[in-house]
Amino acid sequence: MKISYNWLVELTGVDWSAEEVADRLTLCGTACEEIESTSRYMDKVVVAEVLDLKPIEGADKICLATVNDGASTFDVVCGAPNVAVGMKVPLAQIGAKLVGDIVIKKVKIRGIESTGMICSERELGLSESHEGIMELDTGAKVGQPLAEYLDFNDYILTFELTPNRADSLSAIGIARDLAALAEVEIKRPKVELNEIEEKASDVVSVAIEDLNACPRYAARVIRGVKIGPSPWWLQKKIITAGMRPISNIVDITNLVMLECGHPLHAFDLDRFGSNEVIVRLAKDKEKFTTLDGQTHELTPDVTMITNGKTGVAVGGVMGGLDSEVEDSTTNILLEAAYFNAPMIRKSRRVLGLVTESSNRFEKGADPNGIEYAIDRAAALMQELCSGQVLTGVVDCYPKKIEPWDVTFRPGQCNRVLGTTLATERMVEILELLQCQVTGDEKLTITVPTFRPDLEREIDLIEEVARIIGFDDIPDAQENIGPLFTPSHFEDDFKVDARRTLTGAGFDEMIHHGMVEGKLAQFMEPKVAPIKILNPVSEDLGVMRTCLAQSALNVVQHNISHRNLDLRLFEIGRVYYPPDKNDNWVEEDRIVLVVTGNYPSDWRNPARPNDFYDLTGTMTALWNNYKLPRYELIPASSDWFDQEISFDIQYGGRSVGRIGQFNQKVLKRFEIKEPVFLAEFSIMPFIEAGTPVARFKPLPVFPAALRDIAVVVDLTTKAGEIVSAVKKTGGDLAESVKLFDLYTGKQIPKGKKSIAVAINYRSAKGNLSSEEVDARQGDVVAMLKKNFNAEIRDK
Amino acid sequence: MSLLDEITQLRQNAIERIKKSDSLDSINEVRVKYLGRKGLLTVVLKQLKDLSPEEKKEIGAAANKCRVDLEQEISQASELFEGDKAASDFDPTLPGTDPNIGKVHIINQVIDQICDTFRGMGFEIARGPHIETDYYNFESLNFPPDHPARDMQDTFFVEGGRLLRTHTTPVQARELENREPPIKIIVPGCCYRNEAISTRHHAAFYQVDGFLIDVGVTLADLKGALVAFCKNFFGSDVKLKFRPSFFPFTEPSAEVDISCFLCGGKGCQICKQSGWLEILGCGMIDPNVLKATGHDPEKYSGYAFGMGVERPAMLKYKITDIRNFFNNDIRFLRQF
Ligand SMILES: [Zn+2]
Repeated sequence: MKISYNWLVELTGVDWSAEEVADRLTLCGTACEEIESTSRYMDKVVVAEVLDLKPIEGADKICLATVNDGASTFDVVCGAPNVAVGMKVPLAQIGAKLVGDIVIKKVKIRGIESTGMICSERELGLSESHEGIMELDTGAKVGQPLAEYLDFNDYILTFELTPNRADSLSAIGIARDLAALAEVEIKRPKVELNEIEEKASDVVSVAIEDLNACPRYAARVIRGVKIGPSPWWLQKKIITAGMRPISNIVDITNLVMLECGHPLHAFDLDRFGSNEVIVRLAKDKEKFTTLDGQTHELTPDVTMITNGKTGVAVGGVMGGLDSEVEDSTTNILLEAAYFNAPMIRKSRRVLGLVTESSNRFEKGADPNGIEYAIDRAAALMQELCSGQVLTGVVDCYPKKIEPWDVTFRPGQCNRVLGTTLATERMVEILELLQCQVTGDEKLTITVPTFRPDLEREIDLIEEVARIIGFDDIPDAQENIGPLFTPSHFEDDFKVDARRTLTGAGFDEMIHHGMVEGKLAQFMEPKVAPIKILNPVSEDLGVMRTCLAQSALNVVQHNISHRNLDLRLFEIGRVYYPPDKNDNWVEEDRIVLVVTGNYPSDWRNPARPNDFYDLTGTMTALWNNYKLPRYELIPASSDWFDQEISFDIQYGGRSVGRIGQFNQKVLKRFEIKEPVFLAEFSIMPFIEAGTPVARFKPLPVFPAALRDIAVVVDLTTKAGEIVSAVKKTGGDLAESVKLFDLYTGKQIPKGKKSIAVAINYRSAKGNLSSEEVDARQGDVVAMLKKNFNAEIRDK
Repeated sequence: MSLLDEITQLRQNAIERIKKSDSLDSINEVRVKYLGRKGLLTVVLKQLKDLSPEEKKEIGAAANKCRVDLEQEISQASELFEGDKAASDFDPTLPGTDPNIGKVHIINQVIDQICDTFRGMGFEIARGPHIETDYYNFESLNFPPDHPARDMQDTFFVEGGRLLRTHTTPVQARELENREPPIKIIVPGCCYRNEAISTRHHAAFYQVDGFLIDVGVTLADLKGALVAFCKNFFGSDVKLKFRPSFFPFTEPSAEVDISCFLCGGKGCQICKQSGWLEILGCGMIDPNVLKATGHDPEKYSGYAFGMGVERPAMLKYKITDIRNFFNNDIRFLRQF
C-alpha cells in the first residue's frame, strides 16, 4: 500500500523526515519498503505555452509545436491528438529524466530538430494515462517548474503490510502507529455536515437478509451533485496512493477509503431501480455484470446488494454496471457497510477479482468505523460536488459489535519478553494504541473494534514489544534449555555417507521431489506416482518414485554440456502413494551413477567408469558400517541390460538394484553413452545403527603369501572362486585377494585365467612350509574338482 | 698386537664408523681417516718395510683386502645418501596424482554449517515427512482455515488430501506432540511453494527451522540465541536488526536483518543500498501452538526461528542463479 508522507504528517504533526518516518514505522512492524519523491520525474520539467502548430511533411500522426518556456521559444515534435495552440503544457527540457529513465536529448525526427518533449501524465509518473498530453490550467505561469506549479513536493511511502494488520490499510491506520511512536494524538479531519430537511429514511429503506454475511449496512442520500473533476489536493492523495482520479464522487469514496480504511460505494440513486436496499446471498448461477463490464456467474458464497428485484453490487467487492455513477448523475445513494471477512474471501474467489475494497474487508474492517466514514464522504460531497445531504443515516445494524475486554498481566508481559518494563509504560503504550485500560494488578484492556487482531493477552504483549522496539529487548547471554541433546542417527549417517562417497570420487547432486509424470510412469510402471494437483508445470507434475529418473536428467544435462566423465551420487527421497489404510511412506535412498571415463593422467591411463566403480564404492559404504556383505542376484529389470542387471540383496531381502541402462531407457533420456547406476535404500544402515569397531589383536606370527592362477570357464564367477578358496584355506587363509584376470591369446577360447593371492597365517604359531604347502595343495585340488580348473604355471 | 690383528681391528672400527655415518660428509671423513694419504691404513703399511718378504706378502694382501672392502663399504654407504643431492633429471612440476575427491553439494555444505553451529549450542536435529497433512502444516501451527495467512504460502496440494510442506515447521508440531519439554531442536529440509521458477525463486527450496521449549523461555533468550548464531555463521562483527512481523505460529514475531557482509553495511547492489540483508524469521511460539500439541502455555514458553538456505548460500558464494542448485552441472558442483 502507498501513502504519501505529507498525508501522514498532516494526520500526526510529526516533524520527522520521510526516511525517519519510514525507519521508525518499519521497526514497529509497519514495514515501509520504499520511499520515492513525487517529483522524481519532474526535474527540468516546466510549464510552457504552445504558440503554434505546423504539420510535418509525410507524417500525419505527428506535428511540430512551437513552444515558449518563459526563457526562449523553440520547436518540439509532438504526437498527441489533444495538443492545441494556446494550451499550457508540461515541457520536459533537455536533460529531464522521465518515467522509465528516459532522458530527454536533442533529437532529429524526419530531419527536424526537436528540443524537448511535451509530456503525458504517465511520462511524469502522475498516472497511467497517456491518451494525450497533460493539459494545465490556462492561468499557469509559463516557465514555472512543474513540481512547484503542482505543489507536488512529497514522498510516496510504499508499505508491505502483514495480513493480520487490517487496521493499517489506510492513512489513519498508519498514522495511528506513527502517533503512538511519537507519543502524540492523531488529528482526524473534522466533519462539518449541513443536512437538509428531507430525511434519508423517507427516500430509501435498508434490509439485511443474512446478518452473518453483512452485519451492518448504512446508507445516506445526497441530492443535486455536480459531477466533475476533483480538486487537485484530493487528486494528489489519490495519485500518491497509486490510484487514478476519476470524478469527484468516485474520488471522494476512494479518498475516504484511503483515509480511514473503510470502503464505500456510491450508487446513482436514479438508476438504482427501487427505493429499497436488500442485502442477500446470491442465488446459485445468478448472473451479474460488474462495473468493469465482466459478467459473472455467482454462487451462494457471494453477498449481493439488490434493489429488491435485481442485484446492483457484489457486496464488498465491486459495484454493478447499471447503477454506476455517470457524468449525468445528480442523486447519490452512498453505502457504508460491514461485511464478514471470510465471506468476502469466498466471494472474491468466486468472482476471481481482488479489489481495494475486497482486500480491506477480507482482512477485517471496523464495523463501528462506518459513522465517521459515511459522514466524512457526505460532507465532502456537500463541499466539493454542491451536494445536499439528506438528514440521517439509514442504518441497519441489529446486533452491535462491541469492543471487547482482554485481561493483561504486566508480569506476564515481562516474562514473555524478558524485560523489566514498568506497568505504567505498558499502560501508556496500550492507551497510545487507543485501547482503554482499567484495573492495576491484572489490567482489563478494552480493545477498539478496528483491531480485530487483538484478541488475547499475547496479542497485547506483542503490541508492547513492537512499540518499545525489539532493540530495547535485551540479548540474553545464557545458553538455556538442555545442554545435551542426542544426535540424530539418520542425519549422522547421511553426513558420514556423503564423506565416504565424496572420498570415493563421487560428486553430490541434490534434487527435490517433483518430476515429470510420464517419465515417472515409464521408470516405475508398477507405482502410480502421487500427482500434484496444482503443479508449476507438467515437468514437475508428480512426486518421484525412484532416484534414477532425476539422476538420468542430471546425466543428460551434463552430457549435453560436454561434461562426459561423471561419478555422481544423491541421498534423496522417494514417495509412495498411500495404501488402503492411508499410510504415506517416504523412503530415503542412495543413488550412484557413473558414465564416461575415470580421471586419467600422465601415468594412469584412461579407463571407463563402470559397474565395478559402483560395487566397489558400495562395498566401502557397507564396510564403514560393518554390515554383512550385500549380494547381487541376477534379475531382469525394465531399466537395465539383460546381462548387467542385478537385485541388491541384503539380509535376505531386496534393498535396491544395480546395472547398466538399456537402450530403451537411454533413448528416452536422449543419452548415447553407457550409464551404470545403483539405487538402494538406506534402511540397512539405519537398522544397523552406529557401528562400533572392536579391536582385533595384531598378528604375532609371520605370514606366508602364495599365489595361484587357474584357467576356468568364462561363465565361472570370480566371487565363487574366491569364497571357495577362502573356505578351503580355512583357519589358515587369513585373506584371499583376486589380483589378476586375463582372457586372450594365451588362453583357450571360452576360458579365462584368474589369479588369487592367499595369505596364510596361523594365530597359534609359526607355519612351516610343509603346513602351507599342504593347505595350498587342498586348495588346488578343490579348484580342479569343483571348478574344473587348470592350474597355470608361472 | 700383531700387524695382522691391527688391520683386523682397523677394519672393524672403520666399518662401524661407516654404519654410523648419516651423510656423505661423515662418510668422507671416514675415508680420509682410514684410507687417506695420511690415513690409518697407510700408517700400518708404512710398517711393512721392516718385515720379512713372507710377512710382507701375507700382511700386504690382508691390508689390500681391507682397503678394497672398505672402499666397497664406503661406496655402498655413499649411494644411500646420493639421493639427498638434487638430481637434475627429476621434474617436480609434473602434476601430482589427483586423489579425485568429490564434492558435497553446496546446499548440504551450508546446511551442515548451520546445523553444526546450532548443534554446538545444544540443539538436536529432527526430520519429518515432506508430504504433510493440512493439520501439521497449517492447523496445528495456528493457521485458521481459510485465513489470509495461508495465502502467504502458496501451497502445492497432492492427490489424497495432503500437501507438500511449505516449511519445516510442521516437524515442530510433530515433535511437540510426542515429547515433554525441554525440547531444543533444529529441522533442516526441503520445502515447496508454488512459485514461478526464475533466477531468484524456485518452487522447491531448503529451510532450517529451530525451536526451544522450556520453563521461562523469553524473547530476550531468542534474541541472544540468534545473535550468537549469526556471529558464529556470518562473522563476529555482524549486526542484527529485528523488525516486528507476523507469522501465525509465533507471537510476538520478527524478521531479522543482518548487516550486509558484502559491503560491511555501507550499501551495495546486493543489499539494495540498504546495508541490511533479510535472513531469518522468528518469534515466541504462539500459545495456540502449545495448546494444540498438548502443552500448558502458562507453564511452558518457547521460541522458534526459521531461515532459508539458498539465500545465504547465494549471498555468501555470490551465486546469481538459484536454478544452478538443482541443475547439478559438475562445473558448478566442483566450485565449492
Ligand atoms: Zn551491501
